[in-house]
Amino acid sequence: MKVKKRWIIIFLTPAVLLFAFVYLTSLYILVTTSFTDLTAGGGGNFVGLKNYIELFKPASEFWSVLKNNVIWVLLQSTVHVYLGVIVALILARNKWYTSLVRTIYMLPNIISNAALGMLFIFILNPKFGLINNTWRLISGNDAYMQNWFMDPKTAFGSVTMTWLPYAGITAILVMAEMTSIPDSIYEAAIIDGASQLQINMFIVLPLMRNIIGTTTILAASNMLQKLDIILLTTSGGPGTRTTNMPMSIYRTALIDNNYSLANAQGVFLILFGLVAVLLIRKIYRMNENILG
Amino acid sequence: MKRILLSMAAVVTAIALLVSGCTKAPVSTEPSQGTNKETAAADKSTNGPVEVTYATFRVGAHVQAPGEKIMLEEFNRLYGDKIKLVIEELPSDDVYVNKMKALAASNSLPDVFDGKNGVRELAIANGTARNLLPYLEEDPEWKKYVGDMAIKANTNEDGNLYSISYSQRIIGYYYNKSMFEKAGIKPAETWEEFMSNCEALKKAGFTPFANATGENAWTVNLLLGAMIGTANEAGNKLMNEKPVTNFNTPEVINALENIKKILTDYSNTDALGAVYANAANVFCQEQAAMIANGPWMVGDFTNPEKSVEGLDQRLGVALYPNKGIYSEYDPGFVLCAKDDNLEEALTFLKFRTGPFSQKTFLETAGSLPLTNNIELSEEFKAKKPLVVQHLELASQAEYKFKTLDVIADSSVIDSFAKLYPELVFGEIDAQTFAQKLTDAVYRQK
Repeated sequence: MKVKKRWIIIFLTPAVLLFAFVYLTSLYILVTTSFTDLTAGGGGNFVGLKNYIELFKPASEFWSVLKNNVIWVLLQSTVHVYLGVIVALILARNKWYTSLVRTIYMLPNIISNAALGMLFIFILNPKFGLINNTWRLISGNDAYMQNWFMDPKTAFGSVTMTWLPYAGITAILVMAEMTSIPDSIYEAAIIDGASQLQINMFIVLPLMRNIIGTTTILAASNMLQKLDIILLTTSGGPGTRTTNMPMSIYRTALIDNNYSLANAQGVFLILFGLVAVLLIRKIYRMNENILG
Repeated sequence: MKRILLSMAAVVTAIALLVSGCTKAPVSTEPSQGTNKETAAADKSTNGPVEVTYATFRVGAHVQAPGEKIMLEEFNRLYGDKIKLVIEELPSDDVYVNKMKALAASNSLPDVFDGKNGVRELAIANGTARNLLPYLEEDPEWKKYVGDMAIKANTNEDGNLYSISYSQRIIGYYYNKSMFEKAGIKPAETWEEFMSNCEALKKAGFTPFANATGENAWTVNLLLGAMIGTANEAGNKLMNEKPVTNFNTPEVINALENIKKILTDYSNTDALGAVYANAANVFCQEQAAMIANGPWMVGDFTNPEKSVEGLDQRLGVALYPNKGIYSEYDPGFVLCAKDDNLEEALTFLKFRTGPFSQKTFLETAGSLPLTNNIELSEEFKAKKPLVVQHLELASQAEYKFKTLDVIADSSVIDSFAKLYPELVFGEIDAQTFAQKLTDAVYRQK
């Protein structure tokens, strides 16, 4: 028993040290400097809650940033996951198209965000983009011109469409989990006269609760990390219409040189993420045994 | 358990020692004297070439990359046995500025670096930038090639000089003479005529202006700045003031209204959100009649990979209406070397801003030299007449002013790309735009 304990310590120490020095130290610095006036040029004096008050004062742009982030987290946790689950249910039927569709649907998830961003810049280009050209062809209106990423009315929707429908990861995870359902359950349902819809609704989906909860956490937390694709397509504009929290942190730190205010946003982002994860776990009752 | 605790304490102590060992000693901002110099010299003689760190964004497809390569090769040829340049190449202007800001925050800036986009100010704020005036006074030959105007332009409020410029920037706008002829117009002398020229070009079937509002909105902001700088004395004062603290003025608002018209009716249809490369491509492919830019673009006009054949023959360069032109000096290079390699870093700084570099960058990238001490060869004049025309126009200008990139902080410059689409789509008016720029001034730390 003593030997076993020693090996546990030996194997855990590198990971614990790594976590302590890479994450815990960073987290400590992040939290403590959020109460200072640290800038790229110096500072570091204690200023209390000044940065947090600045962040949440009524005229602060951070409110619209927060609103964008909340909407994106909600959309990603619902529509995105819903699409992934639907695709998984369809592909699980193992038809002739399953392999092909699964590969195609996964493509946007395996391309780097930088490449995906460039792809959408070209697809939605007002002058020669695929979307505008197709509409010109259909409508016969050669003068049709829509700047999807820069028009304040379409910018948010256009950026959202660069990630919302591509739920390949959700689909793959749900499909993998579905393979663990014993065939006998399906056979019993079929003998009892259940339709495919009834099997999905009353057997498969309830059994998938934990994995759907997990993919929802992945999808939601992904929205708290998105930066590259926004930076490439709109840089957070027009105005703050497509700015999310990571984008705002980037701007505050590297454009405004205000490290402490950026760190206050970082602290809030971490808290926001924790609340989102706890909420999703609660909604999906992820601590409870599926079979009761 | 005790053993584990002891081991952990040892690890923590080792790391603490390592960290304290890495911490840099405070740096003197004055030239080093006496014994330090002698000790350093003794160390250097035994340790081979002295390392000097240098960061550059002039790599890859950057217009100044070929000049940078020649400059570095020549420096290594002349000083390679004594000085080893440790170069950090950063692939774009943005990456460079962000990296330098992060290094400034940790007091670990390179020995020599370009102080553009507020990086110099950060080095001054954290006390690592050296005052270069004493070194210039010690070396009259170097001072001759830097010139009094460039020294004056970069002298700080405290009377010190924290960077040495490497080129002057004179920026007018290029126009396509064939398109102008077909539209029956000539370069405008007033802004009213300029707008009517745009209308005439549009009626003749041409896109008047190649523009891009993305990144630092370079081409659009050149037009905006020219409108402000030539509007009247107040506008010209604003465009020569650094840093600008109030954009909410009649000259700025009026100029923004004109820019809205230009972006809506007289620019390439993908100008909103496009980056500089898009605008340059539109102009070089003769899809637009005008573009605002400096002499460094001349090389593109003869490059078959970028421009249609013979484009350089069909182009002219003009003063902005009301006889205006941009005239400024680059912020230039900052010296943050410590005492132990100061002499070597200074040698490199002198070379980087001296006659060989100025001439190399003139010939390879159209960067105008700091003084007339660098003479343009007849061959160069014949090869690049548009560069020469820029210099001639500068002598005819009645209004001279600086670019917004030089007079405003990064928070302001970053705001343009976000606000232009809102202005064009009517979400905000020109006055709100100007107020938001003023607000951005106070966001900068």
